This record gives sequence, C-alpha cells and structure tokens, in this order.
Amino acid sequence: MSAGLEAVLQPSVLLTILLSALYGVFIGAIPGLTATMAVALLIPVTFHLDPVHAIAAVVTLVACAIFAGDIPNALLRIPGTPSSAAYTDDVHALARRGLQERALGVCLVFSVAGGLFGSFALMFAAQPLAGLATMFGTVEYFWLYLLGLGCAVVATRGSALLAALGLILGLALSTVGLSTAHGSARFTFGIPELYRGVSFIPAMIGLFGLSEVLRNLLALGGTGGAEPPRAAPGGGGWRVGPVFGFALSALWRRKGAALRSGAIGSLVGMLPGAGADIAAWVSLGLSRRLARGAPQDDSDLLDGVSDATAANNSALAGAWVPTLVFGIPGDSVTALVIGILMMKDVTPGPGIFERDGGGLVVGVYTTFVVANLVLLPVGFLAIKAGSALVRIPQRILLPIILLCCIVGSYAVDSRRFDVGVMLAMGLLGFALERWSVPLGPVVLGIVLGSPLEDRFIGTLNTSGGSLRAFLERPQSLVLAVLCLALWLSPLVGLVRRRFAATR
Amino acid sequence: MRPIAAALLVLGVAGCRGEGRFPDRPIVLICPWGAGGGTDRVARQTALLLEQDLGVNVNVVNATGGQGVTGHSRGALARPDGYTVTMMTVELNMLHARGLTEVTPESFAPLALLNRDAAALFVRADSPWTTLRELEAHIRTSGESLKASGTAQGGIWHLALAGWYARIGDDPARLTWLSSEGAAPSMAELLAGTVDAVCCSLPEAAPQMASGRVRCLGVMSAERATARFPDVPTFREQGYDWTMGGWRGIGVPRDTPEAIRNLLGAALQRVATGAEFAGFMDRQGFDRTYAAADGFRASLAEADRSLGELIRSEAFAAIRRGRHGPLVYPAALGVAAAVVLASLLASGGLRRRDDERTEPAGWRRLLEGVGVVVGFIILAPHLGFLLTMGPLLCLLFLRLGVSPARALATALTLVPATYLLFGTLLRVDLPRGPLGW
Repeated sequence: MSAGLEAVLQPSVLLTILLSALYGVFIGAIPGLTATMAVALLIPVTFHLDPVHAIAAVVTLVACAIFAGDIPNALLRIPGTPSSAAYTDDVHALARRGLQERALGVCLVFSVAGGLFGSFALMFAAQPLAGLATMFGTVEYFWLYLLGLGCAVVATRGSALLAALGLILGLALSTVGLSTAHGSARFTFGIPELYRGVSFIPAMIGLFGLSEVLRNLLALGGTGGAEPPRAAPGGGGWRVGPVFGFALSALWRRKGAALRSGAIGSLVGMLPGAGADIAAWVSLGLSRRLARGAPQDDSDLLDGVSDATAANNSALAGAWVPTLVFGIPGDSVTALVIGILMMKDVTPGPGIFERDGGGLVVGVYTTFVVANLVLLPVGFLAIKAGSALVRIPQRILLPIILLCCIVGSYAVDSRRFDVGVMLAMGLLGFALERWSVPLGPVVLGIVLGSPLEDRFIGTLNTSGGSLRAFLERPQSLVLAVLCLALWLSPLVGLVRRRFAATR
Repeated sequence: MRPIAAALLVLGVAGCRGEGRFPDRPIVLICPWGAGGGTDRVARQTALLLEQDLGVNVNVVNATGGQGVTGHSRGALARPDGYTVTMMTVELNMLHARGLTEVTPESFAPLALLNRDAAALFVRADSPWTTLRELEAHIRTSGESLKASGTAQGGIWHLALAGWYARIGDDPARLTWLSSEGAAPSMAELLAGTVDAVCCSLPEAAPQMASGRVRCLGVMSAERATARFPDVPTFREQGYDWTMGGWRGIGVPRDTPEAIRNLLGAALQRVATGAEFAGFMDRQGFDRTYAAADGFRASLAEADRSLGELIRSEAFAAIRRGRHGPLVYPAALGVAAAVVLASLLASGGLRRRDDERTEPAGWRRLLEGVGVVVGFIILAPHLGFLLTMGPLLCLLFLRLGVSPARALATALTLVPATYLLFGTLLRVDLPRGPLGW
C-alpha cells in the first residue's frame, strides 16, 4: 500500500505529472486537438518510462486537457469536447460580458472537485461499480442514450421543441455514411469521403466557432467605427480573487449538487459504451430540472455549468473502472492505456490489483488525486493566459479565430474535406441561430446518433424484431421508466402552464 | 504592396528546398482504424522504428470510418511519391467484394506483410460449452440461433464465424450477429449476457482471458499461437478444417517509383525483422509473419480470391443484409422531425430572430469570411499552408480595416507560428505546396 504511495510521491514522478499537466492544458486549449490524440502522441515517450511514470503522464494529461477544453469554449465559443458543448453558450455569454475569469474559475474548481470525487469512487468502489457495468448490454445502452438525448432537450434554455428540432437534425446528420449496423452506405452520393459520415469535431468547430465568427462579422461596426467595450471590469492582472473567489463559495454553497454530479459522472463514465459527454448532459439536465424554472441570473446559469463540468471530469476516472477490473476500456484513452500497460508486461484485469503487492493500482489512485490537485495552479495560469485573448480587438481576433477553426478542423484527420464539413456546419449553425434553434443538442445528436442506431437495430435483430426485447430485463425496464419520465416532463410542464393560463 | 511582395519572397525562399534524396521530409502513415486499437498500436510502433531507420518523422494519421473504406481509399489515391504509406488490413480484400469501394489490393504496391492474426471464438467462463463439438451440438439441436458479436455487420470476424457455420453444414443466416464497433465493446456485451459468443483475434481478448471471465474455444489458424497462447487449441485439432484471419501490412500507391519502393521496402524489412519490433509484437500478443513485396503480393491475391468467393457466395448474401434495413432508423427520425416541426408551426414557435441589425456591408464581410475558408480548401494543396493562409489572413485583416502594417505583422507571425505548432510539434500533416511547406 505505502509502496504505491511512495512510488508516486518521488520527485521524478511529480515532475512527470507537472510536465504532463502543462502539455495537457496546452493541447486541450487548442481547438481540434483531443486528449486521445495527445495520449497517442505521447505513446512513443511512454515506451521509455516505467508503468507508474507512464500512467501518471496519461492520467494527468487527460484530466488537464478536458478542463482546458473549457477555455476556448468560453473565450472563442469553440468547445474542446462534446461534453463541453453542453454549456458552451452559457460560459461564452459570460465571457462576452467580461466575466470569463469567473466562469472559467467555476469550471476549474468544479472540474477538480468532480475529478477528486471520481478518483475516490475508483479507489473505494471499483469492484462493485464494475459489477454494475456488466448489467449494461445493448438494450440498456439504447435507453441510456435516449436518456442523454432527453436531457439535452430538458437542459437547453429556451423552447423545448426547438431543442428537440436541433437534436433530430443532429441525429439525421449522423445517418450519413456507412452504417455499422448494416455495413451499407447511406446518403453518401458516391463521395468516398462521406463514408465516414460527419465527424463531430469539425462539426462542433463549425456549428459553434465559425457560426460565431460569421455572426460577429455581420454585426461588426463599419471601418473606423468604435470598438464595443470588451475588456473585463475588474479582473486582469494575476489576482486570484476573480478566478477562485466566486467558484469556491459556489462549491461550498452547492456541495450536495457537486457530490450528485460527481456520482453521475462516475456511474456513466464507467460504462464502456458511454462517456463524459452523456455524463455532462445528464448532470446538466438533472440540475436544470431540480432548479425548476429558467435560470434567472449569472449565478443560476453557472450552477448548471458547474454540475456539467464536475460530471465530465468525474467520468474520466470512471472510465478506469472497467479497464482495471476487466481489461475492457471505458473510453478511447483507456484503450490506449491498455496498450501502454501491455508494453510493460502488465495485463489489465483482476491480476493488476495484486501487481507489486497492489502498488501499481495504488499508484494509479494516487496519481489521480495528485493530478487533480496540480490542475488547480496550472489551470489558473491557463485561465490568466487565455484571458489576454479577450483584450484583443474584434477585427484582429475574428480572423484569428477563423484560422483556429480552419487549422483545428484540418488537424483532426489531416483532411481538407473536414474543413469543408466545418464550413457547411458553420453556415448551418449560423442559420439555426437566426431561427433560435440551440446548437448543443445538434452536437449531441451527431455524437450519439450512430451508437443509438446500432443499439436500436441490434436489439431488433437479436430479438427477431420483437419490441418486447426493449423491456425484458429488469435493468432495461428501470432505464426505460426513467427515460419516459424525462421525456414526458416537458409535456407535463406545458400542459400545466396551459392549464394555469386558461384558469 | 512592396512589404507584402517581400514577405512572400522570404516565405518562398525559406520554404524552398532542392530536390534531395528520398526522404527529406516527414512521411505520413495512414492507419484506417482508431487510436488505441490493435492496428493503431502496430502502426505507431512501425512508425517509431521507421523514423529511426529513415531519419525523418513518420506521422500516424488515423483516417477512420466506413469500416476501413476511408483510410484505404485515401492511401490508394495519395500522391505516389512515397511520402504517404498505408497500414493496410484484411478489409482491403473485403470492401470491394462487398461493393463498397473501387479500391482493391491492385491499387497498392505492397511493401511488407507484418502480421497475421487468426480469428478465435470466445464464450463466457460460466457458459456450458468447453469445446467446439459441444457448441456445434448446441447449434444443431437448439431452436434458437446463436447470438455473437466481435465487429461490425459483415466484418472479418463475422465472416470467420459464419464461414465455420457453412463448414459444419449449417446456414450462416441462422447466426445472429450483433454489430459492434470492435472487439472491446463486444466483450462488454458478452459479459453483460447480451451475446453468447464473441469472435475476434487472440490479442484483442487477452485481458479478458487473463481475468478468467472468458474462455477461448479455439483459434482458426493452422497451428497454435505457441508464443503467447500455447493452451488455445486450433479448430483443426478439433476436427474442423477451417482457418480464417486478418492480416496487416504496409503499402504505397501503385504508381510509386520503383527506387522509392525498394528503399522503403528495405527499411521496413530491417524494422520488421529487428529485435525491437519482435519484442513489441510478442508482448502485445500479436503474431509476427513477415513477407517482402513479392510474397505479400502473392498472399494478397490469394486472400482476395478466397474472401471474394466467400463474400459473393449465395450463403453469405443473407448475412450481408441484416434483418432490419438501413432506412428504418432514418424513417423513424423523419417521423419524429415531422411531429416536432408540425407542433412548432402550430404553436408559432419557429420565428426568425430579428434582434440583430444587418447591413449590406455586414453581409459582405460575412461572405469574405466564408471566402477565406473556401480559399483554403481550394488553394492549400497547390500552394501549401503558409502561402495560402498568410495572404488570405492578411487580406481579411485589411478588409476589416486593420492597418496594413499591423495586418502584415500579425499574419507574418501568426501563420508560421501555427505551422510550427501544428506541423512540427504536434505532427499534423499540414498541406504542402510546390515550395515545400
């Protein structure tokens, strides 16, 4: 036990953690680069490290990259991951009013809180949680995805019908390409590039980032016109207050909500077929449902953001549960981790808990805690550095964001076609916003569309077409009831309002 | 204009390099499968060792999707200059037979076969079947069809298991296949009890076998994988003359010059037969079967023939379709969309936002922004990243009313900095023009 602690708390490991934290924040803050890509780039380096160093590097990198995705999310309106897309408009609205340090401070503090919660869940409940994960088969995932989609409708501010429209649009976009369920091409018009469908990162950059650039270009004052004031009132400098002051008091005020969000993150994150994105949406949906009524002010707005961001960081540790217990990766990063471990002659699975007298696993746990703590100062530096962007005048900043959009969407796959996808989605996003259709649900639809179809068709195929299969197992029944309750809740609200209005 | 012309000249001269010997710039290794999977791991290790051997960066690009169509067609259609090599997989033999792509093994000049991983059949450790004979008896006597998974519908592992069905005289269409994104999610389904069996390669299932939750009934290779899985019996030992598996190898577009092919082939031979590669493959549990260009070409042709026969046969027509057609789900979405749209129209919820002022100049600026993106898409492959993005960005700054000096200075620092960051540090294969970058 203590051997594992000592293994992590030696200077060379701590240095690895610090360097990985800087690298992770850096990568995460660049639109288009994902944590998975960062880890893949790191693999050749890990060949020269022992398992504890290698794991420390990966864990830290991912935890920091996910948080750092919130920085362009707030400042440029380009979400780093689909899980940040849940609250893009909320944090960006605050940043536009110069409150970016407060918004990002909330993201940082709740990310760390969620991450720590996830670490402790991994430490103390890995085995029972993993048992729960084996109850999830095709049907259960089908209901879980519907639940996640329902949360996107519930969680989005404004009209639920418009959110549903955005969601269906996203789902429809996801049907383009070669479907896994059938292995046949759909809506590809003979263009080979379309076989892989609409990739979600270029789509996300286009829908949010490019559409925002276009909107601002449209509204920009004429040449020589006065710049709208954008600089932060207060803030600035290296003061700690604007970043942490509000966030820490919010954490204290909403400890229960933070625990709830952490728990949602761990539970959803540990499922191999679901990840941080669904966790964030479910947490946000629940948060908005419990708050009752639309957010009134900044503080209400940030309540939802904090719940979503706590859940998506907690989900990261959750993904390690099936990885360590069964050797089944919980997400794409842990899939890479399995490869790294096998290079070290470590086979993930129950045997790993006995490795080095349990030292290796304790090393993983300790790394998670240390990595999340290191995120606090490193994230603070990143927020301060990023905030400088806000002081750049619009007419300089907009072309720079445009450059980010182009390079970011290109970088995903080194494909010009993806830049085209980004452009198309940008125009679509611009049009949708003019009709008040929210964009977050569109992104979730694109991400979950194909997995949802796989599970839907898969269940029909294995049951011989009987719809009873969707409700046969007790666990699927529970999820189905939750799902229906969620989907029906806006309707109930609508009926109640109508009723109240007529009375 | 003078400073701009001067800047272009500087960029041009700096980007220009004489035609040196091959290779003098980074090579792209296309991997048709996602980061973290088996093919990606082999690709990254190969890239690492190739990099040491050739002395230039070898960058892995995961061109995923379309069950391998994306990566293989991109690799086949790349400029045949040796700077784009592809990690080819068995799907190259299958996709054209399924009518999904025009790209065939003929589209490539094969360089080196690296590995052959046979299919293997897995069941839960608590299942009643311990041998293939027992499973066969169950398949024959039970009224219900066996549910299995391992890859997407019609993928190599599906084909392997269905082929065994045909070999024991059963109808492959009686096998219920649950389409999945890969071996790992299939294993999760196996543990969750949704499927009865998983067909995939041995290394993909190594962690689950080690954990004791999963049992391997047999491997579809001619001989046992003695290095890592000596206890797993072959199908042949159990009386079934059936072998099937995937392979991985490296190729370049067909028209690549012979000198470059030979140079890359020799480098790959040193890599694939070296001790470091062997150590990597053995530890990951991958088989090692090396063949140089000619041997690889022959085995590609052989695989193309046998797999093509299988896929085009009468018995397999059914498994390629699946029971619920590809338009069921889009149709369901269409209905949902119609309902939502109808309610929106009825409630008057769909209205254009008119809170934003719009003036002709605004629309012109918007079009110029779109023009920059379109300009990049059209010009980048001809001019390269720097020569496209630098002037375009500069132009946009000027149109937005930024002073020429400031516009030039910003574009001149920003674009090369972006190039350094993405192209050099993060190993993104940014577009290259005639002048280099």
